[in-house]
Amino acid sequence: MALETACHPSGKRPCKMQAFRIWDVNQKTFYMRNNQLVAGYLQESNTKLQEKIDVVPIEPDALFLGLHGRKLCLACVKSGDEIRFQLEAVNITDLSKNKEENKRFTFIRSNSGPTTSFESAACPGWFLCTAPEADRPVSLTNKPKESFMVTKFYLQEDQ
Amino acid sequence: MQSYRLQGAGPEISTFCILQKLSRTMPILYMLILGVPAFTIQPEERTVTAGNCQFLGKHFKTDLMVEGEPVVLRCPQAWYRWLDSASSHVNVTWRKNDSTRMVPEEEETRMWVQDNALWILPALQGDSGTYICTVRNASYCYEMSTELRVFEKTEAALTYISYPQILTLSTSGLLVCPELSEFTRNKTDVEVQWYKDSVLLDQDNEKFLSVAGPPRLLVQNVSMEDAGYYSCVMTLTHNGTRVNITRNIELRVQKRREETVPVIVSPRQTILASLGSRLIIPCKVFLGAGTQWTTDLWWMANNTNIDIAYRGGRVTEGQRQEYSENNENYIEVPLIFDPVIREDLNTDFKCVTYNTRSFQTLHTTVKEAATFPWGTVLAPLLLVFLVLGGIWMRNRCKHRSGKAYGLTALKIERQVFQSYPSKIKEIK
Repeated sequence: MALETACHPSGKRPCKMQAFRIWDVNQKTFYMRNNQLVAGYLQESNTKLQEKIDVVPIEPDALFLGLHGRKLCLACVKSGDEIRFQLEAVNITDLSKNKEENKRFTFIRSNSGPTTSFESAACPGWFLCTAPEADRPVSLTNKPKESFMVTKFYLQEDQ
Repeated sequence: MQSYRLQGAGPEISTFCILQKLSRTMPILYMLILGVPAFTIQPEERTVTAGNCQFLGKHFKTDLMVEGEPVVLRCPQAWYRWLDSASSHVNVTWRKNDSTRMVPEEEETRMWVQDNALWILPALQGDSGTYICTVRNASYCYEMSTELRVFEKTEAALTYISYPQILTLSTSGLLVCPELSEFTRNKTDVEVQWYKDSVLLDQDNEKFLSVAGPPRLLVQNVSMEDAGYYSCVMTLTHNGTRVNITRNIELRVQKRREETVPVIVSPRQTILASLGSRLIIPCKVFLGAGTQWTTDLWWMANNTNIDIAYRGGRVTEGQRQEYSENNENYIEVPLIFDPVIREDLNTDFKCVTYNTRSFQTLHTTVKEAATFPWGTVLAPLLLVFLVLGGIWMRNRCKHRSGKAYGLTALKIERQVFQSYPSKIKEIK
């Protein structure tokens, strides 16, 4: 499960990639629908559809996030005034923290009780979120406190 | 982007092609037998397939329900288009895979199409199967299949139909009554009853608090005993009859692996080493029950990373090790000198550990160990040797002086003896 990869602080430090189960505080899990990452409710018989995320810590509070077994990484991309969440076809273990172009894959985690929020390093103030309704795409919000979007997630190490 | 493949699209298509051909020919055969022109008895919307409809495959989710309750099947692709706000006016029709007839059939009162979704109330086990929806508008036509399984309402069915939800031990969290949107649309206040192991949870219960809005149950200070099956029941009035909609949830309680403050337990502040020799200084960090995963541990020399300070590789960091002793977690990274040189004696080596809870450092210096203390070890030995040697010499000298005395004495005695006759002679 654990893979060695290059990371903090000198670029030579070996550290581990760890797979996690992820779900939001409204108990929605992640799954793929038509190339899109969505959050919703899965019955036990459908839980094989659940997407786990691979996490590579590049500093204790900065991480790369990818979809486990898919070679897709979560990214925040700016184009003009628009901020966009996207999945990019990159192998998480190929990412190096020292490259500026990899900043879009970096998320800063912050814990609040048992939950974790992920702020994009490339898009400061924008947090990974799910919609309050089921089956809607995972996206980013810049109003984590005011909006009804869900930005708090539970993580569980996948054994 | 990774291309998306609809699961089971291949076999479904081939099965469907046969069905499609059959469905095209069946009404014709049927009409030929009856001798009635097809177009007079088959209304447009009742045609099973018309024109070229693209089959998009089987929906990835299977709907698992219990009999006696309402089931609402959404045509997946049309539903998601609507969700993604790319919806246009479409006409959705339904049929079951094992039948060429449309659902609902004319006499069927248990099934009807409402807002393009297929409603079944009450669902029966016999309703299980694959349903195919056809979505058509002026410019396109496509089809998709979705699977429904209706179970008898038993304990065993819970394993398949329940929604796993996870809360963290010793915290408070929410269980959510899922997938009620078909029944709660345009309703501001939805009330549900919550049960744990079929026992109604009292509203006065301080442990469990039913939260309105999207129906949720707040579980306070989650304990391992809270794990198990919960159900939320919403009541709907249909044609004057009250029907229940039940959702089952399996609460799993996870123990949280928290980050703890890392504590550097070794090395000592001074390490003795001999110049020219190989030296390994392990930096050992204690984390208790905390996770090792996000705790960094590294060495520095005069505030510079080791690989930069020693580009030649004379001093390196060894492999990071993560291990547990008596259920306590540790991390260790060794600093390896190959060999130690005089310059190291004036270098500040620092072990650094860092996670979101704390940043800790420990300084250590290498000191030259004194050369082997020959004088200290040999002086007593020399003394013993001298003493022993002295005794031996003394004994030897004593023995020698004893022999000389005898000879002298003999000589004297002889002299004495020899002198007597002369004396005798003189006496004579």
